[in-house]
Amino acid sequence: MSKKKSTATRRAESQAASARAAEIRAAQERKERRRNTLVVTGVGVAVLAIVLVLFTIANGKRDTTAAAGSAPTGAIGYAVPAGPSSAPVRVTVYEDFLCPFCGQFEQASSKALEDDLTAGKVQIRYHVLTFLDRSTSTEYSSRAANALAVVLDQAGPDVAKKFHDLLFAHQPAENSAGLTDGQLVGYAVEAGATKADVQGGIADRTFEQWVKNVGDQASKDKVNQTPTVFVDGKLLSGSMDSLVAQVEKAVAAG
Amino acid sequence: MGRFGVAAGVLARVLVGAVWVVAGVLKLPAPNENVRAVRAYQLLPESLVTVVGHGLPVLEIMVGVCLLVGLLTRIAALLSALLLVAFVIGISSAWARGLSIDCGCFGGGAGAVENARAKYPWELARDVGLLLLSGWLVWRPRTPLAADNRLLPA
Repeated sequence: MSKKKSTATRRAESQAASARAAEIRAAQERKERRRNTLVVTGVGVAVLAIVLVLFTIANGKRDTTAAAGSAPTGAIGYAVPAGPSSAPVRVTVYEDFLCPFCGQFEQASSKALEDDLTAGKVQIRYHVLTFLDRSTSTEYSSRAANALAVVLDQAGPDVAKKFHDLLFAHQPAENSAGLTDGQLVGYAVEAGATKADVQGGIADRTFEQWVKNVGDQASKDKVNQTPTVFVDGKLLSGSMDSLVAQVEKAVAAG
Repeated sequence: MGRFGVAAGVLARVLVGAVWVVAGVLKLPAPNENVRAVRAYQLLPESLVTVVGHGLPVLEIMVGVCLLVGLLTRIAALLSALLLVAFVIGISSAWARGLSIDCGCFGGGAGAVENARAKYPWELARDVGLLLLSGWLVWRPRTPLAADNRLLPA
């Protein structure tokens, strides 16, 4: 049956065979490259995933939020109180010693509430936050918050309230260095504290962890900006003037 | 791919990569601030808030470095795009719910942001822009000057 093939046919057949072989080789190479890519990608992703997990854990270890901080004597929860707890109206203020709007709020409200405070008609609870630490070169918000805790702890709520008002009366500008520790001590003494009692705590930031915990609790309580004002647990909203007016009205109503 | 495509690919890698690295590095100093920033969106349960707060800066730096050096470009770009989609959802949802929060995009955590609502549109525009660039890199991950070219010859 074997019919002799012509030379031309044989040549064509051998060409076709080598073309097929080249195709198979190319396909194999493609397959190998794809496998290579998969392996390299897989190994890369695995290594990066491990790095991610390790650094995430390391970040968690640097976060001291969970640490218990000793609270200053006289604090009510995470607040520095002014006025008696028996007062019929409770105003809760979240503020940052550096925040200009807090300064405005204090300027407008502290005079208005002064008499009510002495008459025992209102208790103000200050939660001091430190959002604006990055807006000074010296973490002024945190230093001032700690200083208030030190003064409360060492000299009691009346002196602490005066100290608080003095700090807002001399509020430094954002993006400045803030008041120095020496100035903080000076205002504490002006408010009625003894220098020797507060100097160390202000310099060493005795209540640093407690101050952090104040911020963490505020975050859990959904307070994310300052000033935030509650009257008897009810969140106030509106312009600055309206906030002050609402507080005054609530206190007057008793 | 024409010359435009090549240039666009490298530019996208450098731009998006640099933004991620900067965003991540700025978040590193204060892990608790990041946790608060995540919590402020009021979207995730508390157990996830902490993990995301601690892990996000690391992930951002890793995605950024991978894009900058062109390592596993397609996967890095895909992660970049997914993160940006999540951020766009987070910010728009905060905006829609009337929350007034600092986006925490470049650290700083929750903040005293009186004009947060004025910032939302800009933050969204920025993230959508970065998202488009990331999408381009998912589509066309091959660019010159990339580690991928040595590791995974085409």
